[in-house]
Amino acid sequence: MSLLVVGVNHRTAPIEIREKICFGKADARQALRDLRESGAASEAVMLSTCNRTEIYVVDRDDESIAPVRDLLSSRLGEDVSAYTYVHRDRDAVRHLYSVSSGIDSMILGEAQIHGQVRDAWEDSREESGAALNRLFQSSLLVGSRVREETGIGRGAASVSSAAVQLSKKIFGSLSGRRAMVLGAGDVAAIALECLRKEGVRVAIVANRTYERAQALAVEHQAVAMHYDECWTNLHSVDILLCSTASPRTIVEIGHVAPALEARGDRPLCILDIALPRDVEANVGELDNVFLYDLDDLKAAAAANLERRSEDVPAAEKIVGSEVDKYWQWLSGLAAVPVVTEFRAHMDRLRADELASALRKIGGLNEQQAEGIEHFSRALMNKFLHEPSVRLKSAAANGRGLGVIDVARYLFAMDGETKKEKDGEG
Amino acid sequence: MMVIAQFAAITFYIAAAGLAAMPFARRVKAPVKAVILVLAGGVLSHGIGLVSLALESGSGSLTGLGPALSFAGFVLAVALLLVEVFAREVSLTLIAAPLAALVTIAGNITGLHPFLDPQGTQAFWLVSHIVLSFVGMAAYATAAAAGTMYLIARHELKSARFGAIYRFFPPLDTLDRVNHVASVAGFLGLTTGLALAGAYSITYHKIVVPQLVWGLGAWVCIGALALGRLLRGWQARRAAIVSTLTFASVMAVYIVFRVVAFNRGQFL
Repeated sequence: MSLLVVGVNHRTAPIEIREKICFGKADARQALRDLRESGAASEAVMLSTCNRTEIYVVDRDDESIAPVRDLLSSRLGEDVSAYTYVHRDRDAVRHLYSVSSGIDSMILGEAQIHGQVRDAWEDSREESGAALNRLFQSSLLVGSRVREETGIGRGAASVSSAAVQLSKKIFGSLSGRRAMVLGAGDVAAIALECLRKEGVRVAIVANRTYERAQALAVEHQAVAMHYDECWTNLHSVDILLCSTASPRTIVEIGHVAPALEARGDRPLCILDIALPRDVEANVGELDNVFLYDLDDLKAAAAANLERRSEDVPAAEKIVGSEVDKYWQWLSGLAAVPVVTEFRAHMDRLRADELASALRKIGGLNEQQAEGIEHFSRALMNKFLHEPSVRLKSAAANGRGLGVIDVARYLFAMDGETKKEKDGEG
Repeated sequence: MMVIAQFAAITFYIAAAGLAAMPFARRVKAPVKAVILVLAGGVLSHGIGLVSLALESGSGSLTGLGPALSFAGFVLAVALLLVEVFAREVSLTLIAAPLAALVTIAGNITGLHPFLDPQGTQAFWLVSHIVLSFVGMAAYATAAAAGTMYLIARHELKSARFGAIYRFFPPLDTLDRVNHVASVAGFLGLTTGLALAGAYSITYHKIVVPQLVWGLGAWVCIGALALGRLLRGWQARRAAIVSTLTFASVMAVYIVFRVVAFNRGQFL
C-alpha cells in the first residue's frame, strides 16, 4: 500500500493552466470513480481550488502516477507533466498537512484552504477509504493546531482585510459604525462587503453617475447620491471608502475640514483604495483624520505576511510530528492484513503437511488424528506467535511498512498476490 | 510581615508589567489571564501590607509620606486591575504597573512611619480624606496613562507604521473610553477627598498651605479634563493631550513642593 499525491498548484502552473484543470464537484466525483474502477487506485480524494488541483490516491503497486496524470492531461487538453508534482508516502502526508495549515498557500497562512480541504474530503467520501479518511481528518486537526499554536494565521493578509483591521485599530468594534462609499465599482463592492461583515452600516453611496450609485445603495439599503451632494453628509459617517475611477483627486481638504468641525473630536477613517488616488494627500494632515491609501494597506498586509513567515518553522515542526503519528497509524493498518495473510498461508501449509502425514501413517483412530492435528496447530501457533507480535510491534513503532515488505518477500506472499491478481484478469 | 508583603507586591507589579510586555519581545499574545492574576496577587499582597501597617501603627497610618505613597501605589494597582478585568485589555499595565511599583518603592524607601496620630472621629475623617484623594489621583494617573498610550498609538496610526505598537496596543477608541471613565472617576474621588480635607482643616484648625495649593491645583486640572469631556465634548486627541500634560504638571509641581517642603515626613 502506498500513498500518492499528484497535482498542480500556483507554484508549478500559471493561472491559465490552473483554471483549465480545475474540477467542479460532479466532475471530480466522476473522475475519481473512473480512477477507482480502472483499478489505478483503491482510494481517491480530489482537492480542487483556484490555486491547486491535487489528487490523493492509495495504490497497491506504485503504478498510479500515469493514470492520474492522464486524468489531469485529459482535463487540460494537453500533456500536464511539465506542471505537475508528485509526492509519495510520508511526503504526501506532509504535503497535505502543509496545505491544510496554509503553509503551502499563495497567501501564507490563509484560512480558506482549511474549509476547502474539508469540502474536498466530504465531496470525495464515496471514493475514499480508511487511509485517506484518516489522512484528511487528521489534516484538518493539524491545520487547526498550527493556527492555534503559531502566528501563521494572524493579522490581515489582503488589502480588504487590512482595511478592516486598520478601521478596528481606530474604532475598536466596527459594529454600528457608518460608512460612505465613493464609487460604485467591483472593488468598492468587495471592500464594502468586508466592512459590512464586521457590522459596518453602509449609509451613503456616492458616484458620478447616480444610477450606478443607486444599484449599490439598494444592495446595502443605503442612500444614493451624486458626489456634489455627499460632502454635507460626510460629518455623519465614521469611515469614508474611496474607490472611483477618477483620473484626479475628488476628495479635497475643503470637503473634509468642515465635516471634521461638525464631528467634534471624533476620528474619521478614510480608506482610499483607488488608483490613481481619490484623496488629496494633505487631507491626512488634518487632526482626527486617518488616511490610508492602497500602498499603506498593502504595507499593513505585507507586515503581517512577513510576521507570518517567521512562524513557518514552528508550523513545520508541528506538521512533522503529526506526519510521524499518521505514518505510525498507517503502518499499523498495513500490518493487519499481512499478519492475517501470513497466518493463513502458514495454516494452509500446515494443513497440507498434516494431511500428507496422516495418509503416510495410516490406521489412526479419530481421537489420535485429532491429537496430531491439535499438536500441529499448537506448534504453528508457537512458531508464529513471535513473528506476529514483532510485525505488529514494528508497525506500531512506525517501521511497519519496511518490515512488512520483507515479510512478504521472505514468505513469498508478494508472488501469491501477483498470481491472484493475474488470475482475476 | 508588612515589609515582606510590600516587597511581594512590588515584585508582582513588575512581573505583571513584564508579562504584558511579552508581545514586544516574542511574537505572542499578551497572556491576559496571567497578567490579571499576577496583578491581583500584587494587590492582595499590598493590601495585606497596608493592613499590617495599620494594625502596627494605629488608625492614622496613612498620614506619613511613606505610607501615603505606598497607598497611592496600591490604589493605582486596584484601578488598573479594575480596568483590566472589565476591558480584558492588559497593555495599560505597561505604564501603570511600573508606576505603581515605583510609587510603592518610593514609599518604602522614605520609611513606612505615620506622621500624625489622630484618634477617634478625627482619624476616621483624615483617613477618609486620604483614601478618597488617592482614589481620585489613581484614577487621574490611569486617565493619563491611557492618554499617553492614545497619543503614541495615534502617532503610529497616522504615520502608517505597522510595528509592535500597532499590533499590541488596544484600539484608540478603547483608550479614549478608559481615559473618559478614569477622568470622571478621578474628578469625583478628588472632589470628595478635597471636600473632606477642607472640612477637616476647618474643624480641627489644621491647614497645610502646600497641600492646599497642590490639592486644589490637581483638582482644577482633573476638573477641567472631566468637565471638558462631559460638557464640551472633548475626546480623542484633545482629551489625551490634556490628561497627559495636566497630570505631568501636577506631578512636577508635587516634586517641586517636596523639594522645598517644610514637613518632610508628611505627604506634603
